[in-house]
Amino acid sequence: MRLLVFTVLSAALMVVDARFILLQPLRAQLGLIVEPVYWVGRLPVRVWESATQELSTRNELAAENEKLKAEQLMMQRRLQKLAALTEQNVRLRELLNSAALVDDEVLATELIGIDPNPFTHRILIDKGEKDGVVLGQPVLDARGLMGQVVEVMPYTSRVLLLTDTTHSIPVQVNRNGLRAIASGTGNPERLELRHVADTADIKEGDLLVSSGLGQRFPAGYPVAMVSEVIHDSGQPFAIVRAVPTATLNRSRYMLLVFTDPRTPEERATESAQAQEALDREILQQAQPAQPAVDAPVAPANPPEAAQ
Amino acid sequence: MAARANNIWVVWLTFALALLLSVSSMPKFMELGRPLWLALFLTYWVLALPHRVGMTTAWAIGLLADVLNGTLLGQNALILTLITFLVLTLHQRLRMFPMWQQSTVLLVVFGLAQLVQLWLNALTGSRPPTLAFVLPALVSALLWPWVCTLLRGLHQRLGVN
Repeated sequence: MRLLVFTVLSAALMVVDARFILLQPLRAQLGLIVEPVYWVGRLPVRVWESATQELSTRNELAAENEKLKAEQLMMQRRLQKLAALTEQNVRLRELLNSAALVDDEVLATELIGIDPNPFTHRILIDKGEKDGVVLGQPVLDARGLMGQVVEVMPYTSRVLLLTDTTHSIPVQVNRNGLRAIASGTGNPERLELRHVADTADIKEGDLLVSSGLGQRFPAGYPVAMVSEVIHDSGQPFAIVRAVPTATLNRSRYMLLVFTDPRTPEERATESAQAQEALDREILQQAQPAQPAVDAPVAPANPPEAAQ
Repeated sequence: MAARANNIWVVWLTFALALLLSVSSMPKFMELGRPLWLALFLTYWVLALPHRVGMTTAWAIGLLADVLNGTLLGQNALILTLITFLVLTLHQRLRMFPMWQQSTVLLVVFGLAQLVQLWLNALTGSRPPTLAFVLPALVSALLWPWVCTLLRGLHQRLGVN
């Protein structure tokens, strides 16, 4: 009798939880217990890590320091180039009259737990609702996209990784802009491109970047590298496999991306308005000195407003 | 003085430990066979104190496990209730059995529970493709004698009743 009652109750809860958002507040509040449990659960790992750090010799630390310095130098060199390239990109986009690329804001976060079910690829991070995390927010590591937030609790959130079987992401081949959809396979080292025509121009070593078409992930972040393309005449589509560029099962520190919630049109109008105001200001300053000078022609998307 | 009180907090403490063990980090290759700690601990207390630990307890703990694992609310609750029901109906006989026989019966019980878990997972779309879902049941059944001995020691020393 009691079994029946509890079975019905559980079934009802499951249906409500899966179909409606009614239980979200309850879940979020119960989620408060999650963090301490995971914190204690990871305690052995933490202790081990800090112990190895304490016991590492001066030489090792010096070597690591050297390595990091070299790495930093490399990064700085790339950054120098990047500034020029960004400037150039903005100018070219201005010429094309298209919406400028906006640099996204990010928040650093740390991994605190891994889903105990080995068949799902989900992780727990140490930022939650109180830090402004929202449902569906993209998560990156140093090398590429990792996944998206699927559950937000007060101080933690759960992230679904790209390689989970229930996850797909719209991508583009960086070389030629070919669009495709990369689906997770349940293997942390592999994504599969769905429905790619046999004649499509895609080959081994191509970099896949997010296309932003799903309106969930920002465009232009690296997602995966094509590892093999199989043309099987018995199959309607080519079989394309790719390796995620992010180290999905090794990264400990990640970035949460805050993308601009405005649509490109809104962004364009707002930047146009800002430019207009700026022009008027310039005009007013210029008028007392040289009243005959023409007003500067307002481009649709000025670099000042795009920053 | 501890012997006078019924010391029911010990039971809850072990459940907290089980919850902790069920999410603690493990090497990747061992994750496939992660023991069903909650089910094991619950089974012991249901066998030992059927008048205190029953389906209500199982259901409440299951809900906590659901929140912790991010599964649908009620999924683990249903499974733990099912296990408790089976153990409760068998508990008169199970208590008479020698240890290895208990393990065998529990293998079947946990296997059934894992099967239900598989069905529920299939309903929500994340379906494990292999027969590996029975592995946790097997590991748990093999662990049963140790868990049982350990908890019995705790049970008798602290006089939980």
